Amino acid sequence: MLALDIRNLNKAYPNFQLQNVSFQLEKGYIMGFIGANGAGKTTTIKSILNMLHIDSGEVLILGKNIAEHEIELKQEIGYAFGDIDFYTRSKIKTLTDVIKKFYKNWNDETYYNYLRRFKLDENKKIAELSTGMKVKYNLALALSHGAKLLVLDEPTSGLDPVARDNLLEIFQELVVDGEVSILFSTHITSDLEKCADYITFIVNGQIVKSSEKEEFIESYRLLNGKESQLEQVKDQLISYKKNSFGFTGLIHSKDFDPSSEINAAIPSLEEIMIYFSKKEDSYV
Amino acid sequence: MYNLLIKEFKIGVLPTFLIMPVLTGALMFVPGWIYFIVLLYFCWITIPNMFAGFRSQNDLMFTFMLPVTKKDIVKAKVYVIVILELMHIVIAMIFGMISNGLYSNITYYFFEPHMGFWGLCFVMFGIFNIIFIAKFYKTAYKYGEAIFVAVGAAMLFAGVAQWLGIQSPFLHDIFYGDGLDNMALQASILIVGIAIFIAFTMIAYRVAIKRFPKVEI
Repeated sequence: MLALDIRNLNKAYPNFQLQNVSFQLEKGYIMGFIGANGAGKTTTIKSILNMLHIDSGEVLILGKNIAEHEIELKQEIGYAFGDIDFYTRSKIKTLTDVIKKFYKNWNDETYYNYLRRFKLDENKKIAELSTGMKVKYNLALALSHGAKLLVLDEPTSGLDPVARDNLLEIFQELVVDGEVSILFSTHITSDLEKCADYITFIVNGQIVKSSEKEEFIESYRLLNGKESQLEQVKDQLISYKKNSFGFTGLIHSKDFDPSSEINAAIPSLEEIMIYFSKKEDSYV
Repeated sequence: MYNLLIKEFKIGVLPTFLIMPVLTGALMFVPGWIYFIVLLYFCWITIPNMFAGFRSQNDLMFTFMLPVTKKDIVKAKVYVIVILELMHIVIAMIFGMISNGLYSNITYYFFEPHMGFWGLCFVMFGIFNIIFIAKFYKTAYKYGEAIFVAVGAAMLFAGVAQWLGIQSPFLHDIFYGDGLDNMALQASILIVGIAIFIAFTMIAYRVAIKRFPKVEI
């Protein structure tokens, strides 16, 4: 079953547009949603949550259209926006007391278990929590009302490496029994190398690729060759950089001829992102 | 809807705004003052501060993510405004009665706090609501301009009403001297005022629930 099914999403702004954004997330998996700043990650996420009026397309969550079943589906969605805080001067206790009344599947026992596990003190104000703790508090809320889909916008941005690693471990534990699915956007690609099952890559409002992580990385090669070899592959390269030793460039695996003498390596997600953004720049 | 109201009063509306009706209401003890001002403090202080608070706490996004309809989001906010307005009016009325008893020998140049005057106050709040609520929900974000225009209209109404009360012999007879003893007349002005307040607020709500779904969050 699909936790999230996005079909041909279009949304135009004066200087930016989402074009035919489509991707699917299987239930029980983690999908990393990557792209440079301004590539359309947050716009896509806002469209998923029905915060924007999309021009065309469809968003299905757990098989139901969000536009038609918004209230019902919000019972099943948990969210965290890494850079937006709500009611920071309120205590956790006060805020939870307010929030829990809205959810029919709220479970106090689960909630207190997560508070203990995440070492969250109920009597602290939101403003007193570190960035990582705020994300954990949002997760505790989401899981206590039985959210099946967690939509997290940049939950790890602004966290130190230890807190990030800790959070990623939690994400992985959450999906273990196959009930919870996570979509999280980030520009910190190393996070995804650690925990994502699927990768969706967006550049300038368009999905470049959405697939299983290994397949995603496997489909590109990072070439490293002498300047004289550049001409052989120049047309097939997604983009390249010249340096004093020659060049490095990114190519689709299918376009690469392994019999050529150019060194080829499997790129990291970060390298894929960088070379794609370079390609965008060259069009300008 | 009930949960949303609880939410508003637990985290959205600061306790200060609940004490304000008593503080501003106490101004009813200033003898012979322009008592419209007592209620205008609600529009000048409470509304701007409260909506600034909503904005700085990202209330719109917070509320939107809860499993509630957009209609209920608007309805809860309208209820908050109306509840606070009623608190302001009722407490000012009580203090007005006490004030009336305290100062029996003063000359009122401006409206004396009687039922007819309170009827005018309801109309003033009705005018404020119909402009503020309807205008605010065009964006659900920009409260400044909405408040500016709504306060301007409410003050204009208060000013014109007061001026006519002094200048027009007909209105002067109603709101000053013997006219105040005509209970039936005074009560009917109050009732009409309340009816206008309800009608204007409901129109404001209808316009707001049409506009709010078009807002992008």
